[in-house]
Amino acid sequence: MRGRTGGQADRWAGLLATLAVMGFAGCRGADGDATAGGKRILRIAYEREIDLLNPFTSQNLVDISFSMIEGLVSTDEHNRFVPVLAKTIPTTENGLAKRNPDGTIEMTWPLHANVAWHDGVPFTSRDVCFTWRFVTSPNSETYNREQYLGIKGCDAPNDTTVVFRWDGEYAYYAGLFEAILPEHVLGGMTPEEIVRHEPYNRGAKTIGTGPFKFAEWKAGEYIRVVRNDNYWRGSEYPGIDEIVWAFIPDANTRLNALKAGRAHFGRILPTQVKEVRDVPGYRVNLINSNSVMHLDLSISTEHGRAIFADSTVRRAIFLAIDRRAIATQLMEGTVTLANSPINSGSAFFNSAVAYPGPDRQLARQLLDQAGWTVGPDSVRTKGATRLAFPLLNRAGATDRIAIAQVIQAELKAIGVAVTFETLESAAWTQRWRAGKWEAVVSAWFLPADPSLTGLYACDGANNMTGFCDPALDLLLKRSDRTLSVADRKRDLDLAQLRLSESARTLPLYYNVVPEMVSAAVGNYRGSGTNFGSFWNLYEWTLAR
Amino acid sequence: MRRYFAGRLLQVVPLLFGISIVVFLVIQAAPGGPEGSLLAAGRFVDPEVIESYRRRLGVDQPIYLQYLNWLGAVVRGDLGHSFATSRPVAEMIVERLPATVELMGTAFLLAAVLAIPLGLLGGLRPQSAIDLAGTGVSFLGIAMPVFWFGLLLQLIFSVKLGWLPVGGTGTVGATSLGDHLLHLVLPGLVLSTRYVAGWSRYFRGSLVGTLRADFVRTARAKGLAERAVVGTHAVRNAMIPLVSIMALNAAELFSGAVITETVFAWPGIGRLFVQAMFARDYPVLMGVLLMGALAVIVFNLVADLLYGFLDPRIRYE
Repeated sequence: MRGRTGGQADRWAGLLATLAVMGFAGCRGADGDATAGGKRILRIAYEREIDLLNPFTSQNLVDISFSMIEGLVSTDEHNRFVPVLAKTIPTTENGLAKRNPDGTIEMTWPLHANVAWHDGVPFTSRDVCFTWRFVTSPNSETYNREQYLGIKGCDAPNDTTVVFRWDGEYAYYAGLFEAILPEHVLGGMTPEEIVRHEPYNRGAKTIGTGPFKFAEWKAGEYIRVVRNDNYWRGSEYPGIDEIVWAFIPDANTRLNALKAGRAHFGRILPTQVKEVRDVPGYRVNLINSNSVMHLDLSISTEHGRAIFADSTVRRAIFLAIDRRAIATQLMEGTVTLANSPINSGSAFFNSAVAYPGPDRQLARQLLDQAGWTVGPDSVRTKGATRLAFPLLNRAGATDRIAIAQVIQAELKAIGVAVTFETLESAAWTQRWRAGKWEAVVSAWFLPADPSLTGLYACDGANNMTGFCDPALDLLLKRSDRTLSVADRKRDLDLAQLRLSESARTLPLYYNVVPEMVSAAVGNYRGSGTNFGSFWNLYEWTLAR
Repeated sequence: MRRYFAGRLLQVVPLLFGISIVVFLVIQAAPGGPEGSLLAAGRFVDPEVIESYRRRLGVDQPIYLQYLNWLGAVVRGDLGHSFATSRPVAEMIVERLPATVELMGTAFLLAAVLAIPLGLLGGLRPQSAIDLAGTGVSFLGIAMPVFWFGLLLQLIFSVKLGWLPVGGTGTVGATSLGDHLLHLVLPGLVLSTRYVAGWSRYFRGSLVGTLRADFVRTARAKGLAERAVVGTHAVRNAMIPLVSIMALNAAELFSGAVITETVFAWPGIGRLFVQAMFARDYPVLMGVLLMGALAVIVFNLVADLLYGFLDPRIRYE
């Protein structure tokens, strides 16, 4: 009996040993080794599977596409626009942006010569004009199409010059054309056909001028891109042979993949940062993103108007909230306090803006002055109205829900009752866009351009709060319609100040995107814009 | 029997029709629409673009028209196109199906190999040490959340020991079967735990009851050897409830394991379903749910067939 049991045990041990050997030989070697098969393969633990590779119609942020597809501009780690296919960005100072007597603007973009698409066809200014025609078509479904509509004409006087004729001054012009589409591939199609064109959407004909070429998309698992040996910046670029973007949606699994040394790069959650600070061979970079977590109050509902129309009440509520505690304790110091929707790294950030507090004593006094008296249930009332409101939460957004809980406790202390209404993501979005809410903790992901008009102007497409301040409106709209950086800075400085004084939105902190990067990766320069940290992939290196 | 099964097969059409209406209404009743995913990245979107998007997808039409359009296409063998990717739904499902069938099949086999002996041992010796141990392990298996168990195994076998990969179906560039099987070990093990726990309990309970049945007592009185009594009479009869539950679970072979596939980045139907659900990608949701419903119907039919094999007294009329 003993012998039989021993034999079985031996067999199990043998099987386990075989599995272990196979594990080391077949798996770790290939996954963890950056130079498998002599190639420098960068492995990225990516947080989602993207839908399409067309950067204009994808519903995701498209940093995978940007490894293949380039535009006239990109944004660097300092939130600045940098030219890519353009040699330089036109300005009035360099003479490439000219004001015409009729108020129109002629903007000349010089392009790099000797740039070729991945199939060898030369890239020219005609591709830029083709992209403009596609984007401005009503059926292109380009998310920021509205911003391109000021361009009334596109000329291609030669292969390396493109001239846009604008109907006026638009400050955000430098952030457009983040990608260029190939006319020789998509030219014969209608915009609707381009939107649905699977070969371009899925890779077979996804070509760009970028440092990497499409190689493979295994549904649900990964996208693989390979080095473009004919990259226009020179044969020394890119410094990596292949990139594998493995789709790992679960944050814990992504973290385990990084800790196991099976990926060189991955985004993790702020709450995971403490756990991985000392993982050997990796560094954690806290990227200050162009996304501000904030509390919005709304007067778009009847109840919202009844309680928040008075700015004294709003100021009292904001005074009661300890933003520093949220940033340092709740978010464990991984984030920095925000005083403006504009990123503190931007040249348009107004550092003079401040939000006072916390001061609960003053908050109580303000509410007393506004006529809200504490009732028998410790909740303030004014006439028949209770100072109580629901906070709209998105299920699964754990950071926002935790903030909402802190706010709930802090407001309770001044006699304001907060309840929660938690909805699943799509339902939340629908309610939020419909403006049927009184308060919400949310975050926008802003581009590098600092325009705030869409968010806070009376008719702003994304102003669902019901607030309308004509003075702020004037500043915001004027700031969008100038080519003078100094004028824009002045208007946006005043707008940020006005926004703070009006107490309709309370910036909490800049969202950080913690990025865990292998020490083998060189030239990584993380960026918090919607272009992400892959804006300079062409110069990344991977130690052999 | 042939007539019975022909009749059952004919019932599939109205059944699927009814299911499609219910599923369509339930999906439509969920708040939010596909345009929500345009805003999921938290960026600005031109409201005109949202309207144009809704028009192209046809979700601006009345619900009954949307359903009729969808049904008309299905009758012609077209499950429609995904809202998110514009790709044919059938193609997307077929693409994900092998990974799901492979994972679920592995879990099934592993579970059957472990659950039947465990249930048999417990059923033959109720309240013995081995039965109590089996019960304890089963309850642990049922109680343990799949995601937690999966992450625990990842920490041990991938992070600490470095023996097994964290997720995916294979190392990119590696084509060996060994590499692929290694990727299957952890998700297969995690997924099978749930089945082992449930099936062994079902089988054990059924066997305990069967061994007390009159026909078993009669078989023993006839002087049959205990091995024949248990093997020929008791086990076959005790298998009937197990076959029912296995048949129901077998339908999951085609609908995927949402949590396991997510935790192990396994590119199966379950993950496709979750993505479609968050994006309100109605055609994909309808396709996956209908396929799941069809699988349930087919495997119930298979279970009915097996009843007759296990118990010759069962007749089909």
